[in-house]
Amino acid sequence: MFFSDKENSASKNFIFTAVIWLIVGMTMGLTGAIEFTAPDMSAGIPQITFSRLRPTHINTVAFGWLSMANIGIVLYIIPTLTRSKLFSNKLANFVCLVWNLAIIGGIICLTNGYTEGREYAEFPVPIDVMVLIGLLSLSYVVYMTAITRTVKKLYVSLWYMLGAFFWMPIVYFIGNRTFVRLDGLNDSIVNWFYGHNILGMWFTTLGVGIAYYMIPKLTGRPLWSHSLSMLGFWTIAFFYAPTGTHHILQSPVPEWLKALAVVFSVALVIPVITVLTNFFMTMKGNWWQLANNLPLRFVLTGALFYFITCIQGPFQATRSINWYIHFTQWVPGHAHAALLGAFTFFDWGAIYYIFPRVTGHQFYSVALARAHYWLTFIGFWIFYAAFTIAGLVQSAGWHAGIPVNIWSTELVPYWIFRAIGGSMMWFGNILFFINILQTFRGVKPLDLPDVEPAMSPMKS
Amino acid sequence: MNNKNYLLPGLVIIFSFGMIIFSTVLLPNFIFKPMPSEFAVVYTPLEARGRKIYLREGCVNCHSQFSRPQDRDFGPLVMAGDYVYETPNLLGTIRTGPDLANEGGKHPDAWHKAHFINPRTVTPGSIMPPYSYLKDDEMKALVAYVQSLGKKRLVKYHRIYHPDELEKVLEKRKVNVDSSAAANAGRGIFQQNCATCHGTHGLGNGPNAIAISKKPANFSRPFFKDYDDVTWFWRVSEGVPGTRMPQWGKLLTEEQRWYLVAFLKTLPRENEVYPKDYESLDPEKWNEVQATSSKDLNSQKPAMIIETKGSPPGAGGGH
Ligand code: HEC
Ligand code: HEC
Repeated sequence: MFFSDKENSASKNFIFTAVIWLIVGMTMGLTGAIEFTAPDMSAGIPQITFSRLRPTHINTVAFGWLSMANIGIVLYIIPTLTRSKLFSNKLANFVCLVWNLAIIGGIICLTNGYTEGREYAEFPVPIDVMVLIGLLSLSYVVYMTAITRTVKKLYVSLWYMLGAFFWMPIVYFIGNRTFVRLDGLNDSIVNWFYGHNILGMWFTTLGVGIAYYMIPKLTGRPLWSHSLSMLGFWTIAFFYAPTGTHHILQSPVPEWLKALAVVFSVALVIPVITVLTNFFMTMKGNWWQLANNLPLRFVLTGALFYFITCIQGPFQATRSINWYIHFTQWVPGHAHAALLGAFTFFDWGAIYYIFPRVTGHQFYSVALARAHYWLTFIGFWIFYAAFTIAGLVQSAGWHAGIPVNIWSTELVPYWIFRAIGGSMMWFGNILFFINILQTFRGVKPLDLPDVEPAMSPMKS
Repeated sequence: MNNKNYLLPGLVIIFSFGMIIFSTVLLPNFIFKPMPSEFAVVYTPLEARGRKIYLREGCVNCHSQFSRPQDRDFGPLVMAGDYVYETPNLLGTIRTGPDLANEGGKHPDAWHKAHFINPRTVTPGSIMPPYSYLKDDEMKALVAYVQSLGKKRLVKYHRIYHPDELEKVLEKRKVNVDSSAAANAGRGIFQQNCATCHGTHGLGNGPNAIAISKKPANFSRPFFKDYDDVTWFWRVSEGVPGTRMPQWGKLLTEEQRWYLVAFLKTLPRENEVYPKDYESLDPEKWNEVQATSSKDLNSQKPAMIIETKGSPPGAGGGH
């Protein structure tokens, strides 16, 4: 499976294995969430203690699920947009194998306490090297495909994707350079340059690029404005990268760095507004399509959450709001709204459209897919609201000077709601996994092909 | 080839990203080189080992290690120079548990050990996971590390001292501040004058607390359990400059203020319960300890074991 040279085989393998990591990562997250209400659950087993589970969960969903799903989707989109063959499916498949081994190794290392301890960069050195090799090989494949293209003009999605494959290897290298020892605060500055830019220069750029492809494709309408989309691209390229320090806005790092981070964070409103204006104006007059176009519904739900996160983001970065919400559950809520709400929904939508096309099989069940949508959509709202409200309560607790263990009992209902929302999403994704697995194996579908036209492999 | 048209944009992307890396990654490392402050801890081998364990267990996923100006509970403010030897950084971005920047010396070693084995034995309702699987030597190292955190800072600066000449007020004192009669008298005065801000139980959560930006003091803080009679009397009489706390010396008689002191001293510390025997974690004993009356608890020694000699802090009682 990992050594094939068939067209689209790399895309298929990336997407399929990513879904496995999605289930693994979500299971860890859910276990961690339950441990908040039942802290003695881990009962002396180091591997499932919350503090080890949390980094493992983050790395599994960020690198195992989201990165690999994004790559799988991109490896399908780039050849279609450039009207050429992927430069090398063999190399991409090889990277898929290396990454899967890296994630397995990473999970084993992190749960057993071999960690570098920097947020988002916890993987130990050998794993870092594997991930970086994978990234560089993929960049090579993607750029060679773009150079040998037959379409003259680069569509905006390609800009985003090519940008991401240029930025990410550099960012990853900087974030994991353990051979350069930096003093405490400098270490944290570089850590957060990395920590924020894998969101900005990798997940956002790929996610937005995917949405730019999916929305016109699924609605069958042209993009509203090409020049606006380019404005969005260039503002992201200029404004995103210096914002990392807003994660340590109240620590004793230099003031000028903080000021830089705040200014650029606020400026990020511009790309967000341009991107969303473009999405929603493309949808203008086409909203009825949501009724019978499930992939489109996923992508637009993603756009909705993208709007929420990206309006939160610039505000959170200002000092007066950061003052209140920093250190609280509000922030993980925000992070989940971006990675789970926005980009994961984009990816789900894209996978429902792409997976039948790369496997050549009709999707196993549209009913399961619809259940997946509603479970994750409702589950996510419960989950996100619980995080956000818990954060506000928590901050009120800190600032009124009430001891932690008193107000933390007030949070128990929110922990429970969070676990309920999480379980709904987890269950929805088990359905998703079954669906993907059966489609992958080519089992006879449960519904007729015309139930969801976008989800059948016939080229439209 | 049509690729030439993209040469310029490509160069712009490379150049702009290079600029950003230069200004936010390289530049800070060239120009931001704080000198080690007097609190930058050079760890002993045992503490260094403890730090590794702290890192390995991922405590940073719940505990931050820097105090901010608005945090009243976590000791003095940190400075850039404190972190020179802290690699990899453990600043943290989330406080599910309290900040640990000034943790050293807050609790005895045995408390920490009991707390790590099962946090709920010493802090009911805590959601910290149990670390009972740590081996004995690892536990020792971790406790040593936690005790090293900001310790010197606490000893030197955290204490508020009344000016020495104030000791004179004791000579004129007619109220027995340890009697419950005085405390009862004080309660009445407190409810009339102070509860609007400090709350009926002195938790700093009275109705007015919402409206004022510098929040009223919460007397259940361990911090306050160190105040001696004169310090209480002095703080109440002088008020806190820069806040809405009035100078009660101008409004209440000396006798009334002593009654208040008697009352303030009876307020329990935040709901931590100290088992008398830290080492014993068996549930039978625990129930017994839980049954201890509140009077018993209040009469216990403060947990913060700190020296009482040192220079007083500047005006304003900033803590
Ligand atoms: C799930 C999040 C969580 C994790 C992980 C965690 N803690 Fe805690 N910690 C808490 C909470 C909540 C409290 C406050 C209640 C209490 O005292 O138990 C606390 C309290 C503490 C205290 C007492 C602070 C005080 O002054 O009262 C210390 C010391 C401490 N933790 C150290 C650690 C160490 C060391 C680790 C890693 C081995 C760790 N914690 C891991 C949540 C956590
Ligand atoms: C208008 C609201 C208000 C009222 C009424 C009030 N306080 Fe305060 N009190 C404050 C504020 C605000 C602070 C400052 C807290 C700080 O230092 O940040 C404070 C601080 C204090 C402190 C100092 C704590 C320390 O840091 O050493 C003491 C003691 C105190 N109050 C006692 C009293 C007593 C006794 C009364 C009633 C006679 C009273 N207060 C009435 C608002 C009030």
